[in-house]
Amino acid sequence: MYTAARCHRQGMFSKPHCVSTSKGTFNTMQTRRQLLNTAAHGFAGLAASTMLLENDDARAEVPPSGGGVVEVLHHPAKAKRVVQLFMGGAASHLDLWDHKPALEKHHGEKSDFGEHVEAFQNGLGPWMKSPFKFAPHGECGHMLGDVVAPLGECVDDIAFIHNIVGKTGVHSQATYLQATGFQQPGFPGMGAWVSYGLGTLNENLPTFVVLPDHRGFASNGPKNWGSAFLPASTQGTTIFPQRKNPIADLLPEADYVTKASDDAGLHLLQQLNQDYQQQREGDSRLEARIRSYELAAKMQLSAPEAFDLSAESQHTLKMYGLENPDATYPEHINIPEEAEYFGRKCLIARRLLERGVRFIQVWSGNDNSFPRRNWDSHEDIERDHKPLATGMAVGTAALLKDLGQRGLLEDTIVLWTTEFGRMPSTQGSKGRDHNPYVFTNWLCGGGIKGGISYGPSDEWGYKPLDRDNPTQVYDVHATILHQLGIDHKRLTVRHNGIDRRLTNVHGNVLSDIIS
Amino acid sequence: MDRKGDFSLQTGSALKDSGYLVAGNAGESHLLSVLQSVDGKPPSMPKGGEALSTEEIRLVSDWINKGAAWPDAVVLQQPAVSNFDWWSFKPVQRPEVPPVSAETSDPEWQQSPIDAFVLARHRELGLTHTPTADRRTLIRRLTYDLTGLPPTPEQVTAFVANDDPQAYSELVERLLASLRYGERWARHWLDVVKYADTCGYDKDKLRPNAWPYRDYVIRSFNEDKPYSRFVQEQIAGDALFPNEPDGILGLGFVAAGPWDFIGHVEVPESKIDGMVARNLDRDEMVTNTLNTFCSVTIQCARCHNHKFDPFTQEHYYSLQSIFAAVDRAERRYDTDPETERRRRELSEARDEVAAQLKKFDDDVKQEGGTQLAALDKRIAKLKPKAQPADKRPEFGYHSQTSGTQNSEKWVEVDLGEDVEIASIVLHPCHDDFGGIGAGFGFPVRFRVDTRLTAETADKTDRPETSAAAGLGQFTKSDFPNPGLATVELSGNGKTARFIRITATKLADRKGVFIFALAELEVLDSKGNNVAAGVKVTALDSIEAPSRWRKNNLTDGIWAQAADPAVVAKLSAAENQRTEILNSILTPDRVASHQEMLKRRSDLDERLKKLPTGRMVYAAATHFNPQGNFKPTNGTPRSVSVLHRGNIQQPQATVRPGVIPLTNDSIWNFDLPDGHSEADRRAALAHWITSPENPLTWRSIANRVWQYHFGKGIVDSPNDLGQMGRRPTHPELLDWLADEFRRTQSFKHLHRLIVNSATYRQASTRDEANALIDSDNQYLWRMNRRRLSAEELRDSVLSVSGKLDLKMGGPGFYLFALEKTAHSPHFEYHKFDPDDTASHRRSVYRFIARSQPDPFMTMLDCADSSQSTPRRTETLTSLQALSLLNNNFNLAMARHFANRVESESKGTSASTRAFELVTGRPPTVSERERLDSYRRQFGLANLCRVLFNTSEFVYLD
Repeated sequence: MYTAARCHRQGMFSKPHCVSTSKGTFNTMQTRRQLLNTAAHGFAGLAASTMLLENDDARAEVPPSGGGVVEVLHHPAKAKRVVQLFMGGAASHLDLWDHKPALEKHHGEKSDFGEHVEAFQNGLGPWMKSPFKFAPHGECGHMLGDVVAPLGECVDDIAFIHNIVGKTGVHSQATYLQATGFQQPGFPGMGAWVSYGLGTLNENLPTFVVLPDHRGFASNGPKNWGSAFLPASTQGTTIFPQRKNPIADLLPEADYVTKASDDAGLHLLQQLNQDYQQQREGDSRLEARIRSYELAAKMQLSAPEAFDLSAESQHTLKMYGLENPDATYPEHINIPEEAEYFGRKCLIARRLLERGVRFIQVWSGNDNSFPRRNWDSHEDIERDHKPLATGMAVGTAALLKDLGQRGLLEDTIVLWTTEFGRMPSTQGSKGRDHNPYVFTNWLCGGGIKGGISYGPSDEWGYKPLDRDNPTQVYDVHATILHQLGIDHKRLTVRHNGIDRRLTNVHGNVLSDIIS
Repeated sequence: MDRKGDFSLQTGSALKDSGYLVAGNAGESHLLSVLQSVDGKPPSMPKGGEALSTEEIRLVSDWINKGAAWPDAVVLQQPAVSNFDWWSFKPVQRPEVPPVSAETSDPEWQQSPIDAFVLARHRELGLTHTPTADRRTLIRRLTYDLTGLPPTPEQVTAFVANDDPQAYSELVERLLASLRYGERWARHWLDVVKYADTCGYDKDKLRPNAWPYRDYVIRSFNEDKPYSRFVQEQIAGDALFPNEPDGILGLGFVAAGPWDFIGHVEVPESKIDGMVARNLDRDEMVTNTLNTFCSVTIQCARCHNHKFDPFTQEHYYSLQSIFAAVDRAERRYDTDPETERRRRELSEARDEVAAQLKKFDDDVKQEGGTQLAALDKRIAKLKPKAQPADKRPEFGYHSQTSGTQNSEKWVEVDLGEDVEIASIVLHPCHDDFGGIGAGFGFPVRFRVDTRLTAETADKTDRPETSAAAGLGQFTKSDFPNPGLATVELSGNGKTARFIRITATKLADRKGVFIFALAELEVLDSKGNNVAAGVKVTALDSIEAPSRWRKNNLTDGIWAQAADPAVVAKLSAAENQRTEILNSILTPDRVASHQEMLKRRSDLDERLKKLPTGRMVYAAATHFNPQGNFKPTNGTPRSVSVLHRGNIQQPQATVRPGVIPLTNDSIWNFDLPDGHSEADRRAALAHWITSPENPLTWRSIANRVWQYHFGKGIVDSPNDLGQMGRRPTHPELLDWLADEFRRTQSFKHLHRLIVNSATYRQASTRDEANALIDSDNQYLWRMNRRRLSAEELRDSVLSVSGKLDLKMGGPGFYLFALEKTAHSPHFEYHKFDPDDTASHRRSVYRFIARSQPDPFMTMLDCADSSQSTPRRTETLTSLQALSLLNNNFNLAMARHFANRVESESKGTSASTRAFELVTGRPPTVSERERLDSYRRQFGLANLCRVLFNTSEFVYLD
């Protein structure tokens, strides 16, 4: 793996002088010293964040206050919050965002990629046009498949990146890569890094919230939003809106615990813990622990309010696809059900953003089992993508418009991403195989330029048009951190001898898509 | 250097060839334009790096203008560190123990060398040590430290009241002898090696047999297994300790980490994704081994030479090649020594018979002399040429297999009526199975019997007693294998309805014995085959259509020779060979040969009947294939240095080796040609456990110290290299490392440490010391710590009276397990914490890698996807909510209350509950508060609160 970033002056210009001599003078050391200084500060503002026994190398440093380790932003921020919409199973760029007239023209002809292609399965059949009709939207005239047409009103705020490349067509590794910046397990999710760097905006709610697909987890499950070697407090908190306790352990479920016993119990606990703390002067952890129980009580009040949609207007509910509160659905995958579940997550996301949650991850699609309940359409694009995409588009469009109306889109970045793309050739007669060689991401809000398409794919949507200059997940992550006021090379943590960062040793800020 | 583009800076000529540079004219050189910022955008080179300064660009420009001189000898290489002058590479030498009398008058501090080293540092820095902690604190600290469980209030009271000066060291001995010790310390080990019960990655498949390795680690700690032995078992136990279960169980180490099911099972090794998965899998093995045993961050050298430590990519890939033949899979071990003894005996006996059989063959060859040898050669040459012209899939009849050659098998045709027989024609089979080919399954000895309609079916089982006469007896000596030649027997005008071929000596099919025949023709006087399509019966048949079935015997299909001349020659050679053999093989010798064969098959049967043993998930070279995941059968995969770690850019192949620790280290293994893959691992195990390896002993001594004090002497336990921390007490570390190297005993090291005055200090704060050393790096007091996730959960069970101390076995679930056929769902929220199967120590829980237990994770449990040499200690409101409201704590609080109520009533119940949780009686004011709350809300509510007290959760 890699070590300090500074020494990765690699690429074509790898230089002999880049070798480090004994103890380096690289900037990561400075960051570290800063961290040590900040760690020595008081703990007055300790919040839903964390604190540790002491500074240490095997674990991360202490965010000293409600804020994160980046006490002074590296540069002025354009955004404060992030929403990551993640399509599990790999959503097809060709059928949603990246219109390919060549496929319409050559539909059914033998595919010819001009080179040997290694397909994940055997999806190298004839060229296949999208089963969905494309039409231009907005002033920019971006072409969208009809299944995502609800987003047509938003395209002038969106920057599409059509030349994202992955590293592998294996779901698990690809999901890790997009979620954590590494192909292997054991690395913090992007939301954990952001929580670690910036801390919370509202200590009464978790800093990083995850809304999984209601049917279950995508590849890798909660490891995609784990804290790994960062403090556990930076991990994503999963919320299942349909469960009795949407946040695990938020409220007690025991017949002997009543409101009164809970309140009085917390009071007794505070007294006992204060006594204990007062006999052990100078251990700030013990004070922080008392405070953590006070905050817990506040969260018990704040969180249910944030999940309660009853105060939302009919208009809003309808916009998010939630107009039929008691609807029941058939067993087979269908649009209204997808719209309701995804829309509910989007509406909760908006409410959480309003209340100061820093990072929200919304998932569509669970594991790769059958019948398909994710985007892995090897057999039939239309069968799976139509309901999933329509449901996603309804909720997403509502979220973007709603955030816009409330002035929140200005400083909230919304990222749409997936594992990889799908092939322009056929698998079976109606499906598409994995395409890690090119796919689409889009960003919106938070200082992102709207109405643009960046980095085209080739005429088939098989690889980037300019193969030497693709966009990678590191660039997207670097750009998002940049908008948040963080230099992605400076947010590092020493772990087992390596200064780790979200972007590994890569990443360029995509200056073309930021305003 | 990256040679992806057409641009290279490796040599002067390569640079000039690239066209990026016009010597003598910087203005014309494209090189300069890519170094400079254009339109406010960063320059395109260096890619991903910091832009060159104006001064640096000017230097490049000047150099080009002056002709871009580049000495031929200068070839730029990937940079490598070559500095071995680093503390952790130096030999471990036992340092002098500093004299202590000058340091302190405290007699407690004048006994242990550990204290002498610590005091020496104190004096240098102006620190003073803290007095010994009170006895209540000591027993609580020690009991948790060594066993991970709280002492009972009775144990605390007895220890506090015991004024014997030996009481403390006796307590140490009692705790070290407890089986709870292994459970506690194994958990530390499992954190480092990434143990879990699922594979991780996509689907996160279960590993139902990972747990024997976990139990092995617990047992090894309890037995105080010598450390070298412990290490060797985990890397190469199969090679170094054959026939011992621990030699296999230890290999669970190599397989402990995550594994990509899709990348191995669904993607073949021939595809890029398959190669990537296998490369990353070996990377995990190398990383796990070097991080765990040597605290070296070798993983940094996968894509380029290590930036800080003197390790190159070549070293790294040489380490990969050590693991190039092993995969993670289930393999058998046996914990029953009697069964293993039987297996060894039988295997030895079988080997003996095999040797006798070989000698028999050798003797025959010898006696057959050159003539037999020449015939064997000729037959071997002719056989491949005797190919069938047009082989149809319907091969013929094939009996079931027999373990012995001389059991009889028969096959019979029913002509439907009595027929006068002119001749019978036997057509042999052709099957390439086992390289046999022509004459496959043709009986070595046989006879042909016939019966009339009148001789009815009731006699079919005993044809030899029937009145029918035979058409041929070839039972006294071996019949030459006809290859693809037909065997025609005269009917002698006999009339019959049933024709039966009985093999009396079966054909050898790679160690089992069979009878096979492609076609049986029965020709009447007019030359018509009256057997065509008639019914066939047999003693037995493998019936594996379409190749093998009884009816194939009369289907008119058989393998016919493409070249009858070759077949004739082959047949003649076989005839001659058989004649020679018949002359050599006296009836006595034949009988003894038969006896040997029978004995061999007998032994095989008995071996097969032995219990098959139990399985452990471990490093394996032989296992049942699963999809594209296939065993290497011990043949190492070829490993090359990969440019930038890219599987598609292999460079030189490497030989197995390790890392150098000095400038002149011989780091490649000196293994002979034809060495086995296990020899490589054995060499690695020996290198790691060599007394000369300074990293091994420092690494483990530092880990043990760290687990006792919460902080290592080197505060980067997985990295003793340049990016790690420096030791605070280098001499002490070496002294401990030497003690451990000498004794190989964990328990010895524990004794030394926990009996020291340094360890027994109170954890109270001292302003003067804190001003000098606020982090307590120099141990002027003991560190207060929070209980680990496991300690907390086990303590809750323990004080609630619910802890089941059953040891070992499959992990218990803390979730409802659903949808295991595809991707298992671990539904923690559906689990009933009252399930008594789960009331065991946390080290025995089933650990799901992709979906870690939320309650344990909230308490900073180790992430099994990464080596965790030290737990973090976080504090959050969500953690507070977990301790307050998790269903486990809520259920246990009720049990806790029931337990206390059964032991005491009223006010004393509050006192008792408090004592169980804190190890001390409450003060008067505390008791009043506790009791007031209990009276109002009941004991269960009080117990719930007590689980959340800092005094329960922290150790002084």
